[in-house]
Amino acid sequence: MKETRLKILQYVSGIAIFIVAGFHILYSHFLKEDVTEWNSIADRAADNWWLAFYVLLLIFGLYHGLHGLRTIILEYFSISNSTVKVLDYVFIIAGLAILGYGTYIPVEAL
Amino acid sequence: MQDLNFKVQRYNPDKDNSPHMQEFTVPFKKGMSVLDGLLYIKENLDNTLAFRSSCRMGICGSCGMLINNLPRLACHTPVEELETYKIEVKSLPNYPIIKDLVPKIDVLFEKHKSVKPYLIREDNENLERPETELYQSVEQLDSFMQFSYCIKCGLCMSACPTVATDRLFLGPQPLAQGYRYCADSRDEAGKERFEIVDTPHGIWLCHMAGACSEACPKGLDPAFAIQLFKRMLVSQSLGIRKQPKSAPAIQPPKTSKPKIAVPELTVK
Amino acid sequence: MQAINSKNRNLPNNLGIKGWVWAGRYTWERYLYTLHRLTGLGLLLFITIHLGINGTRIWGASSWEDAMDILETPAFKVGEYLVVAAFIFHALNGGRLILQHMAYTLGKPKAPIYPYVDAMRQNRLLMWAVLFVIVVLAIFALVLFVI
Repeated sequence: MKETRLKILQYVSGIAIFIVAGFHILYSHFLKEDVTEWNSIADRAADNWWLAFYVLLLIFGLYHGLHGLRTIILEYFSISNSTVKVLDYVFIIAGLAILGYGTYIPVEAL
Repeated sequence: MQDLNFKVQRYNPDKDNSPHMQEFTVPFKKGMSVLDGLLYIKENLDNTLAFRSSCRMGICGSCGMLINNLPRLACHTPVEELETYKIEVKSLPNYPIIKDLVPKIDVLFEKHKSVKPYLIREDNENLERPETELYQSVEQLDSFMQFSYCIKCGLCMSACPTVATDRLFLGPQPLAQGYRYCADSRDEAGKERFEIVDTPHGIWLCHMAGACSEACPKGLDPAFAIQLFKRMLVSQSLGIRKQPKSAPAIQPPKTSKPKIAVPELTVK
Repeated sequence: MQAINSKNRNLPNNLGIKGWVWAGRYTWERYLYTLHRLTGLGLLLFITIHLGINGTRIWGASSWEDAMDILETPAFKVGEYLVVAAFIFHALNGGRLILQHMAYTLGKPKAPIYPYVDAMRQNRLLMWAVLFVIVVLAIFALVLFVI
């Protein structure tokens, strides 16, 4: 039932992104004035709650997006069932790498 | 009424590299279908035109073709319904073309077989040589009856966007028939079919474009069957599925109803 | 039964990726599927650009300011609005898809009596409601962007 479990996570992450990214867009575009100022971002990066918020958004976004991309690649290239495992590992490694990069930047650039 | 202009796709594997269109003029008769037009062409204009047809009444599923950009049964498409004098007939998409308008639909039957479209019970002996009946209430029958009307015409597979690119995808027809057997209370092999359908090229590549239901000539609604199947799979995966009781085997009634008094008509 | 022509000259006839985009006269849901896929890919592209631009922080304040200046160009402003519109569409259409994939709004199986109305067509009202909300929110976002 592996594919079903992956799809359930896709639905759950979709709803989670709607809430978290919805808040992120509203806050960044409409609620806060100088959101792209260096100091403003530095303040948020130093705050643990904001950091957790951004990392959570990245996790959900990466899972949802990479699973969608996996579906499109499976469909277009008709990857055989045995090669799908290799594709899955590629996606897991790429996802973890981007997650690491995305977490490293705000922590290190203070 | 004006004569009809038929543009028919031609492909001869011995001579052509790619298909081309050929135009014919067919006289209009009230109530005629596209199949009538093709038969007129074959009988009077060009007898090398190849196409499949059999029952000419929309029940055998042989004459599936792409008519004016929608997959339809040629016998089931009245010319007046198309509301135009120009009729374009091509071979059913997403199947290889053998000749002219004849698609090779073996892949549909293989995928259908792979989903085990038959009743499976623990006591197979009873299914082979039945001595008892399997009880099923009217509500249980209604929950899957709609999906048992499939005539295996293959139009849904032509309409599906996923089948267009992915040759390994099961397709709307096998998935809908898989649900028809999983939802049947007489069947006990639901879990086997879950394993067949829950694969990388299985049910989850269906994105509910709904084109299959649009194309189905028997009102089967395969898209609906597939979504019900997805609900079954998700509830099974989350562990919240109510395990259905299998249909019990009951003895047939011992007394038969009294026969109507019909006079003996055979000559002795 | 083997085909008579053993060289197998059957002509492949798959619609391919064109079958995703346009395959004939179909209904709204068929093309909403295509748009959902396009917006999804667009949002994925946006995430990579967004991470790349935010990654310039690691090289200090001056490279960050340069990146922010690029973002002020008109092309990027239009792109920003498109991302917001794509997000609104993908999220709300995705909500409709989740409901329908779990067969919640599709009703019960019933005997097919001509003229056939499939469950997706019965759900047309839900689709129009979702599209209406999407358009309203997209116009609202456009107004807020322009102001």
